[in-house]
Amino acid sequence: MMRSTSALRALPRTAQLVNTARAFSASASTSFASPSDAPTPAAGSKPPAVKEFKIYRWNPDTPTEKPELKSYKVDLNQCGPMMLDALIKIKNEMDPTLTFRRSCREGICGSCAMNIDGVNTLACLCRIEKDTAKTTKVYPLPHMYVVKDLVPDLTLFYKQYKSIEPYLKNDNPPEREFYQSQEDRKKLDGMYECILCACCSTSCPSYWWNQDQYLGPAVLMQAYRWIADSRDGYTEDRKDRLQNNMSLYRCHTIMNCSRTCPKGLSPGRAIAELKLEMATGVKAKAMNP
Amino acid sequence: MSFLRTAPAFRAGLGMRTIHTSRVAAVQASKQVRAIAADETAGFKYTAENAILKGTVNDAVAVPTPNKAHGSYHWAFERLVSAAIIPATVAAAVASPTAHPIMDGVLGVTILIHSHIGFSACIDDYVDERKFGALGTACRWLLRVGTAGALVGIYEFNTNDIGLTELCEKVWKA
Amino acid sequence: MARRFVQTNSISEMEGLKLLNTQRMNRPVSPHLDIYQPQVTWVLSGLHRITGVAVAGVFYVGALTYLLHPIYPAIDSAHLIEAVHNLPVWFKTSAKVAFALPLTFHSFNGIRHLMWDTGKGLTMKGVYASGYAVMAASVISTIYLAFFV
Repeated sequence: MMRSTSALRALPRTAQLVNTARAFSASASTSFASPSDAPTPAAGSKPPAVKEFKIYRWNPDTPTEKPELKSYKVDLNQCGPMMLDALIKIKNEMDPTLTFRRSCREGICGSCAMNIDGVNTLACLCRIEKDTAKTTKVYPLPHMYVVKDLVPDLTLFYKQYKSIEPYLKNDNPPEREFYQSQEDRKKLDGMYECILCACCSTSCPSYWWNQDQYLGPAVLMQAYRWIADSRDGYTEDRKDRLQNNMSLYRCHTIMNCSRTCPKGLSPGRAIAELKLEMATGVKAKAMNP
Repeated sequence: MSFLRTAPAFRAGLGMRTIHTSRVAAVQASKQVRAIAADETAGFKYTAENAILKGTVNDAVAVPTPNKAHGSYHWAFERLVSAAIIPATVAAAVASPTAHPIMDGVLGVTILIHSHIGFSACIDDYVDERKFGALGTACRWLLRVGTAGALVGIYEFNTNDIGLTELCEKVWKA
Repeated sequence: MARRFVQTNSISEMEGLKLLNTQRMNRPVSPHLDIYQPQVTWVLSGLHRITGVAVAGVFYVGALTYLLHPIYPAIDSAHLIEAVHNLPVWFKTSAKVAFALPLTFHSFNGIRHLMWDTGKGLTMKGVYASGYAVMAASVISTIYLAFFV
């Protein structure tokens, strides 16, 4: 029931919040949910399916303590289907100190990239394996400096992205639009959809060993995205940025990147096309999906 | 700075209030002052192996000077040598006795160059100078000396002994 | 009336960077090789490098050893062939397998790499299918070379 606004203002702040609480239940409330608040199962519904999750934890407030795997048990029947649902449930109900990045929960922002059961993927797109006998291990993205728990320091990744100048550069822009044929536009398919989640770069062993100078699959695919763009006028300059021993040519076609991309893209293939174009000068046709 | 004079007129055209020229100048001036240089590490040593980065997240990583010899030419050469091993092996295996030493020599040198490039890639990946300093340089020189010595060895073996192909055949069937 | 429960202090950008870099010095590196799932992609790539180093190593050692021939005339093909001839058959066959397997694997995988360098077969299906084909070809050719040649 809505009270009059003046009466509302007279109430103390906490009571105001309670009275404006919505009728439907939302997970974000002023206090953490606890297991006793969870609805009791109706008669004949499923018994609890408890699965163990082992999650990498490290606290920068106690930096001398080594990172460890902490175990959490989650009832899958009271949890959404994706890994991110489990992480949020653990954070809400069991351990509020668990720290991870997340935003869109639909696989488009790239925030929740992490290593789940040995594979780099987005937590919001990774289904929890229903087998309760198996433990799921959750690690941060491999060979990255850990800020806290599952949060890696992606600063170098962003600096590398900036270095390839990921924007259209053309000294003679046409009067109106940049006309682009359908064939030329097709050349960008499979590359423009990248959400820069860093799953591929952090799955690449070359990037593990030489992060400081090798740009990594994500950045290299975007470098090629701008080289392949018919509207861009700085192709030679862009290629020159990669004419050295380390920036591009630490790639040995390991193909871990394409295997792990949660959006189904193939950075490995883009890099192979890039190497061919750098060596032969012949522009590639559109990559087949 | 002629654009400063036109800036208020431009903004008036958009229906916005004009900013006084001196305030525009002040805004421009404050943008020029950068507290942190692109290679600033605030007193920490930047190495290839620690978490320290140069500058802030808004500073791009440095782009090395282009050098095609280390870039696309090296890559193309590497692939051509690797591809050449296949016809060289076939030719050496079916060569007539008179052509034997030449085909053997070609095969041996091709394999040697291919191996040298492969070892060099391992050094670049794992023991580069920027991370391992003197050890990296030592490995590179060890490789160069080894390759030179092996080249002499292949030549001598081809000239004074039976050659690579026949050695493989004979040892295999020994 | 606003009551502040959190205190903030303002520091310069430089001090902020110093604080950040101090924090960075404490950060651990997240695990990589030990936790990453073994996959056809990187396992075969690792094997390609290991077999390459092994075969090239034998090649280099052999070529360099022959440099000692002027000092030790016994180091030549005839002595080597005779020494190998006198080894027991089981040892010779095992050695043939041990030498042929890395060499054939590296060769077939090398062809796979060259195929990739022309831009072919770089889909996941292609990578996995060619990977299994290379493994099968290596095993079959090794068996042929070790037992039937």
